[in-house]
Amino acid sequence: MAERELTTLLTHLKSAPSYPETTALLSRAKLLLLQLNALTPLPSTPPAHLALARTTYEQGALASIRAKNPDAFTRYVAQLRPFYEIIPAGGDDERNKVTGLYLLLLLTQGLYGEFHSELEGLAAARGEEDGVEGDRYLGYPIRLERWLMEGSYDRVWKAMKEGGVPCEEFGVFSEILTSQIRSEIASSSERAYPSLPLSSTKSLLFLDSEGAVVEFARARGWAVKDGHIYFPSAQQQEGGEEEQEKEMSQMVIENTLGYARQLETIV
Amino acid sequence: MPGKTPDKEPVENGGYRGGKDMADKDLKPKSKKASKKDGDDEMTVVVPPSKASKQSSVPPPNDAEGDMAMDDADKTPADGEVKVDPVVQTINDIKSNYALLDRAVALFDARFTLRALRSISSIRKRLTPDILAQAIAETYPASSASAHVAKQMLQAVGRPDVSLGRQPGPEMEIDSEPKAPASKNGAKKEAKEIIPEVDVFLGILVQVLLHDNKQFQQGFTFSHSLVERTRSVNRRTLDSLSAKVYFYYSLFAEQLAPQPPSPQSPIVSIRPTLLAALRTAVLRKDVDTQASVIVLLLRNYLLTSHISQADLLVSHTQFPENAANNQVARFLYYLGRTRAIQLRYTEAHEHLTAATRKAPSSACALGFSQTATKLLLVVELLMGDIPDRATFRQPSMESALHPYFLLVQAVRVGNLEDFETIIADHADTFRRDGTYTLILRLRQNVIKTGIRMMSLSYSRISLRDICIRLHLGSEESAEYIVAKAIRDGVIEATLDRERGFMKSKEVGDVYATREPGEAFHDRIRVCLALHDESVKAMRFPMNQHRLELKNAQEAREREREMAKEIQEGDLDEDDLGGEFEGM
Repeated sequence: MAERELTTLLTHLKSAPSYPETTALLSRAKLLLLQLNALTPLPSTPPAHLALARTTYEQGALASIRAKNPDAFTRYVAQLRPFYEIIPAGGDDERNKVTGLYLLLLLTQGLYGEFHSELEGLAAARGEEDGVEGDRYLGYPIRLERWLMEGSYDRVWKAMKEGGVPCEEFGVFSEILTSQIRSEIASSSERAYPSLPLSSTKSLLFLDSEGAVVEFARARGWAVKDGHIYFPSAQQQEGGEEEQEKEMSQMVIENTLGYARQLETIV
Repeated sequence: MPGKTPDKEPVENGGYRGGKDMADKDLKPKSKKASKKDGDDEMTVVVPPSKASKQSSVPPPNDAEGDMAMDDADKTPADGEVKVDPVVQTINDIKSNYALLDRAVALFDARFTLRALRSISSIRKRLTPDILAQAIAETYPASSASAHVAKQMLQAVGRPDVSLGRQPGPEMEIDSEPKAPASKNGAKKEAKEIIPEVDVFLGILVQVLLHDNKQFQQGFTFSHSLVERTRSVNRRTLDSLSAKVYFYYSLFAEQLAPQPPSPQSPIVSIRPTLLAALRTAVLRKDVDTQASVIVLLLRNYLLTSHISQADLLVSHTQFPENAANNQVARFLYYLGRTRAIQLRYTEAHEHLTAATRKAPSSACALGFSQTATKLLLVVELLMGDIPDRATFRQPSMESALHPYFLLVQAVRVGNLEDFETIIADHADTFRRDGTYTLILRLRQNVIKTGIRMMSLSYSRISLRDICIRLHLGSEESAEYIVAKAIRDGVIEATLDRERGFMKSKEVGDVYATREPGEAFHDRIRVCLALHDESVKAMRFPMNQHRLELKNAQEAREREREMAKEIQEGDLDEDDLGGEFEGM
């Protein structure tokens, strides 16, 4: 009974209604799962119920991404994990999509350690032939990560702009990623260039107009003079150096005293 | 054959039949007691025919091999100088460990147990089902309380028809009076009940044997029951033995049908057992089992790539400080691996360096050293260091490390093209070593090294040239990459956007920075830690200090006496002088 109701509910869910509707449907679906005793997988749960539960959570995950609710998404992913462990890969599930989104989320949150742990698990779970990178959904975050690490921000930018995004849910992250790479570029520019003309800064930072550049420069505390941006790095470092000198001599003194004490205990 | 052994054959038969009678009598009640094993029934059925034979199913007159063995078994205790048969030698070796285990229990000193465990590797080479079955049969009198245990072992070895309580004793008499020696021996044995340590020790030998013969399914089932048995006994002297039991248990699980990377592998199902073992071990302050089980769990998680679970395990448990060196090395390796995957390279490097240093230097652990070194090399590369050339020159490592050698060369030169061909050529090797994903991350390091080389060689170079040399996609990419390299402190340079070139700054004097000081400090710290550790590792015999105290007391007394004598001597000097004269 509950099983049939759940199936119809899920077909409703898949036809993508608005977010409030989805949440209502999802909570009803979860109640039904509870009746079926399939909210968490047990060894005794029949495979059909497992599949139903999995689909429910997948829909929930996708819905929360559309609603830009990363916390809910992470929760759904955590709930999905045991199901993915039990049910062998393949079939009609949205596994790669959800995993890909999760990877992207970790990437935008700067959790590289978790990102790589997840990736390692993926690489091990799948065969060696069908590489993880070849997958449409999984390859995207992996490529982005590599480019971000290398510093080829223009490729990241292009991938986000030129239809490189595998599906609409992935697009949600583009905004976050853009601001992320922008601040990355800004911080490297501060160190790399003594000054920059406004016009080229525009293309460098992927901004639309020079007005936006000026605004951005002000936000980061850069000086704008005669069409050039000057980075306020030099003077700050001077002061820092003196302090460093002090710190260093203190360290040397501390260390030497430490050696003396240790030597005393030994001899 | 019968002509050759007129005086020995009957002796044995007598001996064995004596033992057999005991066995037959005792098997029946026992099988009721140990109700769970249907193997017992089987045993009682099979026993009668084997009464005539000894340990193999072939009747004795034809079985030359068995006969030989028996002959020697008879001779060796009687007259030691007779040539030693390897079979008997092995059995004696096995048995000589009982004494060690006994002493370990009596003196409560784990060192004897460890010595017994160490002998396994030498016994291992000579172990066959027959030898082990015989050893088991000779160890257990059929009437002992743990006879069912012995039978279980015999069955696992595949020799369920060997009867227990066989005595190799030479003093046994002829057929006609089997009762007397048998009961005598039995009484002697029963007085000294088989201690669980011996029990488990033989169990471990069974595990080793099954593993060497690749009977993994059987080994797994047997190990499971053995684990249950060790858990039911709470004896501190059993600690290092049970650690070994768990080790083989998980080794068997790894070898079973859906092998590790698959999430359906049996290793997933043994996790609860291992975790329970860990909890018990911690509560009982059982350091050996604790260390060994933590290592096994880590390995288990890493085999199925459950990195976060491994990480949680490490953060929630404390690895015992005074664990055996080998376990520490393993633990450090797995920990290093986890950290490397989590991009915590500095920690990974630290752990892996320690692991390679702690690895035994003998050839028996070469595999471990190689694996750890491989991982260490990759981590070093990821940290931006170039590993020592000498690492690759070690004769034992050279061929195993060859792909890594090529890799290091590519990274050192900063040649992206070479790097990619090497990855493609050796992908299988890297995958097998589990370093593939880590190596893929090296790409950015190759680029960085390339940029650094260029910044060192040229005081000014156009972005276009950088882009061509490093095979980067476009000039924009090159610009971003160089900017990032500058920010990350890889190179000291500035970019000129309008004219599109990179200008290197003068390289400062390294000795003016804090770097040499830090390196020096690191080394000193290592030396001091080494000193502290060696002080801690010193072992003193128990109660020695009391003896010393006593000695000191005595010395003091003697001194006092001497002082007194001298005083007295001072008082009557003539007396002293007189004595001297006398002498």
